[in-house]
Amino acid sequence: MVLKVFFPSCCSSADSGILIGRWIAEQNSAVILAVVHFPFIPVQVKQYLGEVQRVTKVSVSVLGSWSNSKQEKEESLSEFLEDLGTIFCHEPWIQISKEGDSKFWSCSTLQKHSKNPQEEEIILVYYDQRKVMLSHLHPPLDTAGQRTGDASKLSAIFDTVARSQVLFMTDRYDEGPVKLTHWQSDGVEASIIVELLKQASVPACMLLTLLLSLVSGICRSRVLKFWPLSFLWSKLSTCEQLGHRLQHLQVISSNKKAQNQNQLMRKANIFVSLLIDVALGMLLMSWLYRKNRIGHLADTLIPAADHVAEELQDLLQWLMGAPAGLKMNRALDQVLGRFFLYHIHLWISYIHLLSPFIEMILWYVGLSACLGLTVALCILSDIIALLTFHIYCFYVYGARLYCLKIYGLSSLWRLFRGKKWNVLRQRVDSCSYDLDQLFIGTLLFTILLFLLPTTALYYLVFTLLRLLVVIVQGLIHLLVDLIDSLPLYSLILRLCRSYRLAAGVKFRVLEQQDGKPLRLLMQINPLSYGGVVQTYRLPTYSCYPRDSWASLCKKLFLGELIYPWKHKGDKQN
Amino acid sequence: WKKVLYERQPFPDNYVDQRFLEELRKNVHARQYRYQAVVFQSGAVVQQLCSVCVFALTWWYMDAGMLSPQGLFGAALVSSLLGYVLFDAVDGGAGRWASGRTRWADLKSTLVFTAFTYGFSPVLKTLTESISTDTIYAMSALMLLGHLIFFDYGANAAIVSSTLSLNMAIFASVCLASRLPRALHAFVMVTFAMQIFALWPMLQKKLKARTPRCYVGVTVLFALAALAGLATVSSVGAVLFASLLLAISCLCPYCLIRLQLLKDNIHGPWDEAEIKEDLSRFL
Repeated sequence: MVLKVFFPSCCSSADSGILIGRWIAEQNSAVILAVVHFPFIPVQVKQYLGEVQRVTKVSVSVLGSWSNSKQEKEESLSEFLEDLGTIFCHEPWIQISKEGDSKFWSCSTLQKHSKNPQEEEIILVYYDQRKVMLSHLHPPLDTAGQRTGDASKLSAIFDTVARSQVLFMTDRYDEGPVKLTHWQSDGVEASIIVELLKQASVPACMLLTLLLSLVSGICRSRVLKFWPLSFLWSKLSTCEQLGHRLQHLQVISSNKKAQNQNQLMRKANIFVSLLIDVALGMLLMSWLYRKNRIGHLADTLIPAADHVAEELQDLLQWLMGAPAGLKMNRALDQVLGRFFLYHIHLWISYIHLLSPFIEMILWYVGLSACLGLTVALCILSDIIALLTFHIYCFYVYGARLYCLKIYGLSSLWRLFRGKKWNVLRQRVDSCSYDLDQLFIGTLLFTILLFLLPTTALYYLVFTLLRLLVVIVQGLIHLLVDLIDSLPLYSLILRLCRSYRLAAGVKFRVLEQQDGKPLRLLMQINPLSYGGVVQTYRLPTYSCYPRDSWASLCKKLFLGELIYPWKHKGDKQN
Repeated sequence: WKKVLYERQPFPDNYVDQRFLEELRKNVHARQYRYQAVVFQSGAVVQQLCSVCVFALTWWYMDAGMLSPQGLFGAALVSSLLGYVLFDAVDGGAGRWASGRTRWADLKSTLVFTAFTYGFSPVLKTLTESISTDTIYAMSALMLLGHLIFFDYGANAAIVSSTLSLNMAIFASVCLASRLPRALHAFVMVTFAMQIFALWPMLQKKLKARTPRCYVGVTVLFALAALAGLATVSSVGAVLFASLLLAISCLCPYCLIRLQLLKDNIHGPWDEAEIKEDLSRFL
């Protein structure tokens, strides 16, 4: 079996000494973490290792010897290095030596106790200690047996390096009993601002938690839970978005430590997305409140609503005639047309009643943009929903009428054929009806059949209008969801520090020569952008129903109401 | 050789014995008809054809304004009352007693018919205003044809559905009634359709079962009346209709009996198994 030695590239110019690291027996590989220089006292080294093992929970041991001889080979040193193997007994004892400026290192193993001292093939793999320590390995998503096996092997190496972080964090100027060479962090002093922020964040988080608990307590109070109010809250997307943001703030400000990498990333993602959201909201606000833009907006809003109403009136007049040359039932057509016209009249008077207050309302609503762009967008969506309420009403009337007709026709068609729907067996059974039942059923069937085209046309036109509004609202919600769910922190990390999110590794051959160990350089493969988004996507409160296209078409055909928000019943399914 | 598969025999599985054709039988279920009986049974078809003819004629007269709705309503009322009395008188009330239907239920049904038809007659009047007359004619003709096809003439067949047949007739009557000039016309037309398509066949069935002679007389009279009515509208139509009636009542039975002689149905051990025993004791 091939023996793999993972060697930190920063140690390649270290002075001679002994190699400490972790031996992974099942993979027959050694992960070297540091080099201990001469001179040292073996007892102190063992004590030190025991301490490290206690802190990091990694079984660190002395794996072999390292000699870096600038001059000619010294016989005595090599003998001494072999003797070291008897002090720190480890099986196999790895001996790596670098001679002068030679590219090829000699590497050998010593197995004192084994019966067959056969020559093992050795592969030297260099790794960047800092990158491997900081990176987080993402196992491949497809769980094919071979690949997951490889991934778990790799993750053992990554894990070893990452857990011995304590080893690297010791201060550069801290004189300990043993002298080590490894990747050296800059210590606490290098990141003084970060440390200060860390200290300051604790009281800030506590204050935030207190405020949040107060707010959520008010929200949860029983006064707001009565029927009409709770119904209203569930239908307004602004409230949903505010609740969502409240949860986010609670996650950020909770003083529990993140348990694993994923939770940490989640917190960071939420924090960055919240920051960017609020920044965009502020930008919007600064644009809105300059040059009396709110007033202009209010001035254009009322004429726009009037214009929509006029267009609707024209549409209804057209429907009351002979639209597209269709032959409709004139009497029903007139009745429906007048009904809807009266409704538009009501709507226009309502809008005009409201018009003096529109500017004030918009001014106060605009302030909410400081809570974030998403909140402002949700408010926009709600305003659209309120301003197109007449279209919604028309749609509901049309759909109810059409639904009634469709269901009536389908059951009367069964009566027409002398059948009926058996509820217990969920099938159509034959049935003998009375004469009067037959007569009235057929009479109604005929009437409904001849009136169906008229109702269907009204339903079709108003459904198209409704779908237009729903699509606009859906686009706004898509934008909100995008801002909510995009893992911005992970994406920035991927862009600037691509090694932090590793998908795997690749090996580059440095030198290859017979009789000398193969030298490879391990490089980290960064996770693809798609993978980043897929792994760290934040969950959203999707308030629109996720109907498939087929079920949507079926609902439209049967005249069932479609809503941009989710039904309560859907959640249980 | 034995005709069993569960015993090992020195013959191949597809071996056919000499005795195979001994069990062949012919025309087991064929029935011998008498000409008079077949002619008598064909009366039901003749009656139904005449009913459709009379209905179409009535609509024609109403549309042309030659028949006032009041007159038709009065005539229909009188004939309905007569029929109602006759319906009970023919079997002496035995049928009514067996079905357990009270006179109050009859009255209620009548009221429901009248009320609904009268209430809906203005709607019926404007129902098909925008639809072309040819479409209405085609639809009515199709529906009346369907009525004739699906009508229960007494045969035991899968196609027979008295419900569907009656519904198609009502649909046709509503379509035709919507073409009439006023709401009252529509109301009278639909009521008349109900009488001729729903009530008249019930009386016929009872007459046929109780007094066959009387039934033959009524059929002949009804057919003559329909022919006479048709003759006032179109003489060619009357001649064609008369030949159709004759063909159905005289020629078709003759053909049936002649063709019955040519029947050659074979039965034998190759038939599918038939469960003859009464299964009720197992269930």
